[in-house]
Amino acid sequence: MSKRPAGERRLGVYVCHCGGNISDYVDVQAVVDAVKDEPGVVVARHTIFACSDAGQQEMEEDIAANDLDGLVVASCSPKLHVVTFRGVAKRSGMNPYDYNQANIREQCSWTHTDDPAGATSKAIGLVRGVIARTRLSEALEPLVVETTQKALIIGGGVAGLRAAIGLADIGLGVFLVERESELGGWVGRFGPIYPHERDGRELISGLIAEVKKRPAIKVFTGAEVVSKTGSFGNYAVGIRVSNDPPQTIQIEVGSIIVATGFDSYRPADGEFGSGMDGVVTLPEFKELIDAAAGAGLRYNGKPVRSLAYIYCVGSRQTDGNEYCSRFCCTATAHASIRVAQLDPKVRQYHLYRDIRTYGTFELLYTQARKDGAIYVKFPDNAPPVVAADKSGGLAVTVRDLLSGDEELEIPVDLVVQVTGMVPRANTDLVGLLKLPLGKDGFFNEIHPKLRPVETMVDGVLIAGACQGPKSSAESVASGLAAVTQSASVLKKGSAELDPLVATVDPDACTWCGKCLDACPYGAIEQLSLNGREVATISEAGCKGCGGCVPVCPENAIDLRGYTDAQITAMIDGLLQEAIA
Amino acid sequence: MTTRVDRNLYPELQRYGATDISACFNCGVCTAICPLSVDGASFPRRMSRYAQLGMREKLLSSPELWSCYGCSECTDSCPTQADPASFMAAARRYAVASYDRTHLAQYLATSKVFALVFVTALVGLLSAFMYSVHKPVDGSRLAFFDFVPSDVVHNMGIAVMAIMGLAALIGLLEMVRRVLRGPATGAAKATVRKTVDAAWDAVAVESLAQTRFRRDCADATESRPWYLRRWFIHFATMWGFLGLLAATMLDYGLELLGLKATGTPVPIWYPVRLLGTLAGAALIYGTTVLIVRRLRRSDRSSLHSTTSDWTFLSMLWIAGATGFILELGLYLPSAPSWGYPMFLVHVAVAMALVLLVPFGKFAHVLYRPVALFAIRLRG
Repeated sequence: MSKRPAGERRLGVYVCHCGGNISDYVDVQAVVDAVKDEPGVVVARHTIFACSDAGQQEMEEDIAANDLDGLVVASCSPKLHVVTFRGVAKRSGMNPYDYNQANIREQCSWTHTDDPAGATSKAIGLVRGVIARTRLSEALEPLVVETTQKALIIGGGVAGLRAAIGLADIGLGVFLVERESELGGWVGRFGPIYPHERDGRELISGLIAEVKKRPAIKVFTGAEVVSKTGSFGNYAVGIRVSNDPPQTIQIEVGSIIVATGFDSYRPADGEFGSGMDGVVTLPEFKELIDAAAGAGLRYNGKPVRSLAYIYCVGSRQTDGNEYCSRFCCTATAHASIRVAQLDPKVRQYHLYRDIRTYGTFELLYTQARKDGAIYVKFPDNAPPVVAADKSGGLAVTVRDLLSGDEELEIPVDLVVQVTGMVPRANTDLVGLLKLPLGKDGFFNEIHPKLRPVETMVDGVLIAGACQGPKSSAESVASGLAAVTQSASVLKKGSAELDPLVATVDPDACTWCGKCLDACPYGAIEQLSLNGREVATISEAGCKGCGGCVPVCPENAIDLRGYTDAQITAMIDGLLQEAIA
Repeated sequence: MTTRVDRNLYPELQRYGATDISACFNCGVCTAICPLSVDGASFPRRMSRYAQLGMREKLLSSPELWSCYGCSECTDSCPTQADPASFMAAARRYAVASYDRTHLAQYLATSKVFALVFVTALVGLLSAFMYSVHKPVDGSRLAFFDFVPSDVVHNMGIAVMAIMGLAALIGLLEMVRRVLRGPATGAAKATVRKTVDAAWDAVAVESLAQTRFRRDCADATESRPWYLRRWFIHFATMWGFLGLLAATMLDYGLELLGLKATGTPVPIWYPVRLLGTLAGAALIYGTTVLIVRRLRRSDRSSLHSTTSDWTFLSMLWIAGATGFILELGLYLPSAPSWGYPMFLVHVAVAMALVLLVPFGKFAHVLYRPVALFAIRLRG
């Protein structure tokens, strides 16, 4: 259907009450009356719940009875129900892209509760605009992309290793690229770690052994990703291997899992005693504990009989990293318990702002206290001060809120700065992958709950602490989530994409290159066509953002579903009400 | 003032019976639940915080230690089972020992063996001294003050009171010195009116009438009858002791006034005798219930008993019980053979009890009213 010219379209328009959410403020009958005689409108009704089974069925019957070729529902945000009503269209034999939605709930009834007449008038304008747009709609088919059944994992830490095994086990080829000369990342450096006291080095060697058993996994160590071209389902990636001689290898993959991990925060000189003898960071201390088994806790050869942990070093600072690193409270409680196991007489002080040992890690916090550690809560605006003590060791001065803000002086042999996770310094890779970063500098997912490992770039997934501070267990979980997400697009061998993408009219294009600069997804390339240089847009790479459309001086780019003609018609429809 | 953290204080407090408070994460539920910790007060939590960090002077200068009557509601509510009520009791023992310069209180509270040997020896010495000056008596009726002359007993009593008074004064001065160094009042200047009000409230309303113990402590919500409630048991014990003390003093006063010589037989309804009888009954009732509860651990506040508790309670009970039996003996037609030995034990235990007031659990009678006065004065 929808083969009729714009002047002969047959449209159905449905104005939803949303059970009062809309109809309490918008006069839905007035909206129906205002648009029922618009050109092309054959059916116009209001309905209590358009999304209900009865509502959908009514539309399907109308479409069949009136031979409709276009559908408009005026209801909630399209984010909520565009898929629902495209389904109605499709089931009725209509092209799903001949359906359009007008948002008269979030944009009218909910926002203008103080002005029902204004809300109604605005709703009429919006619906008219969408009717005008629908008169010009084209039937579109989803884009089908053949996918390469291989994945690239960047980063050979605990998340990357586990993801590699997961992908191989469901029958996908894996390239695992690690920048360091050894696999294992942070976990591979440590002895027992929380929550299960498993030895980090043993965990990693176990994973590496599993990786080696799987010929589907090709490991590159001392290697870096240096180029990435192509689009969703078919990426061509260059990997530089610093072998002797260094060489660059080209591989083809369908998806990329970024698991590049984190850096540990490095305090500036003088920050909480940094640079003083006897002041170490949490990962440095962890190595001291791991080395202490059997020999006792020693620093520079001297036994440690007392120590103070200073929490939130570099974290939750208004003039630095504002975020909480989440793992450090628990990791420090765990370290404290391990120290008590080595020697229960070691006096331990935890100077903190808030303790966030979430979930069952609360038990570790309790255990640390039961083992004799003392927790001192200091005010946010009065951090502890580390100085040399008259006894030769260190003295930490801190205000204790829990004793009524008394100032304490704590003599200690060692100060442990509880440092958090910061984004890895890998600017080149960030530029190469064109992944969006959050305010905190970590890679951003699309939605923290619903799409936690997907990024704005289709087929590029994030896993582990490159996304934000995570424990090893959480990193592995997100690694496996990325495996599932990869498999869902790679295993079928093809994937469907939304056809609402930008297209270039090669006859009008003069290749000025402005669109190339405007595209945030690298979907535009230069192409020689019949002796002329023109722009071409990868359908798989384009996200339909529309950024290239207005910058084109020749008006050679149109966005499917939002063509210039459709947008102009929408504006006219909207203005008709505003002027009236 | 900066305090240097001292991790030796806590182990020291544990010798006084402090339970393991290391699990405490300072949530403050104990303070919130405590019916007496109001108006900006922050005990028990802050007291245990001082102990955790070794803030010895802060702890000893906190009159709040003495606000608590040990109802143990805090212990019931504690999410980490740190038992703040037992801690408060231990901190009071530690304070008594710290205010005592002789270390006697310290040894009595921290060593079972020492307490037993010392108290037995003291009672033995006092009895032996009285026996050494005893006079022969005929066996017809019990005549205690023919056996040991009344002036010997009276003079011993005066000496015991004097020694105790001196030790009590030194202890109180130690406490007051520390409390004065504690946090400044910040409130308005102490006027005469305010001082009198504070003293009345601390001594009369709260200590003698036990108003807050009765009204605010958890007993009010207890389901048991009034005569079994904690405040009443304490009230009966306290007034029993005070009544016996008054009867003893009055009896001596009558002799000084030449109205009645000590030891003159009197009928049961004679006012001073009647006062002693009733007070003795109250004391025996109170101490018996207290002892039974501690033995049975039937009460949440009697789960943990220390040497201090047992020493104090058993001396009170023995003094009361022997006194009662001796009174019965007086009305027997002929003198029983146990009469005179029991008299020696009775007098010696009573004197030892008074002598040891500043050195044991009895010291709360000195420190509590003064601490309450300081708290009231601070407003």
